[in-house]
Amino acid sequence: MNLWKDFNAGLIKENPVLRLMIGLCPTLAVSNNATNALGMSVAVAFVLIGSNWVIALIRKVTPDEIRIPIFIIIISTFVTICDYIMQAFYPTLYAALGVFVPLIVVNCIILGRAEAFAYKNPVLNSILDGIGMSLGFALALVSIGVIREILGAGSVFGIALFNPTVAATIMILPPGAFITIGFLMAALNKMEKKVL
Amino acid sequence: MGKIIKLATILMIFCVISAGGLAYVYLFTKPKIEKNAKVAYENSVKEVLPSDASGQVVLVSPRGYSGPIEMMIGIDKKGKVTGVKVLNHRETPGLGANIVKPSFLNQFIGKSLKDTIEPKKDIDAITGATISSRAVCSGVREALNKVKK
Repeated sequence: MNLWKDFNAGLIKENPVLRLMIGLCPTLAVSNNATNALGMSVAVAFVLIGSNWVIALIRKVTPDEIRIPIFIIIISTFVTICDYIMQAFYPTLYAALGVFVPLIVVNCIILGRAEAFAYKNPVLNSILDGIGMSLGFALALVSIGVIREILGAGSVFGIALFNPTVAATIMILPPGAFITIGFLMAALNKMEKKVL
Repeated sequence: MGKIIKLATILMIFCVISAGGLAYVYLFTKPKIEKNAKVAYENSVKEVLPSDASGQVVLVSPRGYSGPIEMMIGIDKKGKVTGVKVLNHRETPGLGANIVKPSFLNQFIGKSLKDTIEPKKDIDAITGATISSRAVCSGVREALNKVKK
C-alpha cells in the first residue's frame, strides 16, 4: 500500500509543477508546443528515475556532509548520458530539445526528489517515486503544451487544427506559459477542494 | 583531518565511476552522432542545391533578433539562388521562427545579385518579424557576394 502511495503522490496530490511548484524553469521554456513538452518529459523521466534509483542504492554509503555534491555528480552523469543517447538515436528530437537537455541538471525536481525522497527511502520506493513524479511532470507539461499550442499556433502535436493567423501568438511566448500555469493551478485547487 | 581525507576519497571514487561510465557512453555513441551530423548536412545540401543543378553551397550566419541564424544557401553557376535552408536559429517562436517556413524561404529561389533582396521590396516579410526577415535577406545577399568573389 505504501508503494502505491509513493507512486501516486506525484501525479496530482504532490504534482511537482502544479503543486510543489518546482521545475518551473524548464516548464516555461519547453511547453510552447506539445511535442517539445512530451520530449522533455521523457528526458526528465529517464534522469529522475535513474538518479532516484542510484541515490537510493548508495544512500547508506553516502556521508551526510557531501551528499549534495554526490547527488549532483550522479544527476549530471545521467543528464550527459541522456544527451549523448538523444543525439545518437533521436536526432530530430535533439534538434528541438538540444538546448534544454543540459538544463535538466538544474531542474530542481530531480535534486529535490533526491534530497527529499531517494536519500531516505529504499530502492523500490524511490524508483516508484521517480516514476510517479515523472508522470506528474509529464501530465502538467503536456497539458500546458497542448493548451498553449492550440491557442497560440492553432495546432496539436504539429497537426494543424485551424488557421494560425487567428491564433493568439502570445500563448506560445513566455507570458502564455505563466497564464496557462496559473489557470491550471487554479483549476487543480478548485478540484481538490471539491474532493475534500 | 582524517575525516576530510575520507570524504574527499569517497567523492573521488564517485567522480571516477561517473567519468568511466560517461567515457563508455561517449565512445559508444560518438560514431552514430558523427554519422547523424553528416547525414543531416548532406540532406540539407540536397535540399538547397538540386542534383541536376551544378553550383555551390554557402553557409552564412547573419545576426537575427536573438542570436545568429545559421543558413545554408545553394547558388548555381549563373549566380542564382537555388534554395535556402535555415539550419539553426533562436528566433521568437510563433513570430521570427516562421523564417523556416518554405512559403517565406522559397521567395529567394531564382534571386541573384541584380535583385535588391530586401523585405517589403521584392520579398514579403513575416508579420511581426521584420528583424528576422531582414536578417535572412542579408544572409542571402552575403552568400551571393561570397560566390561572386
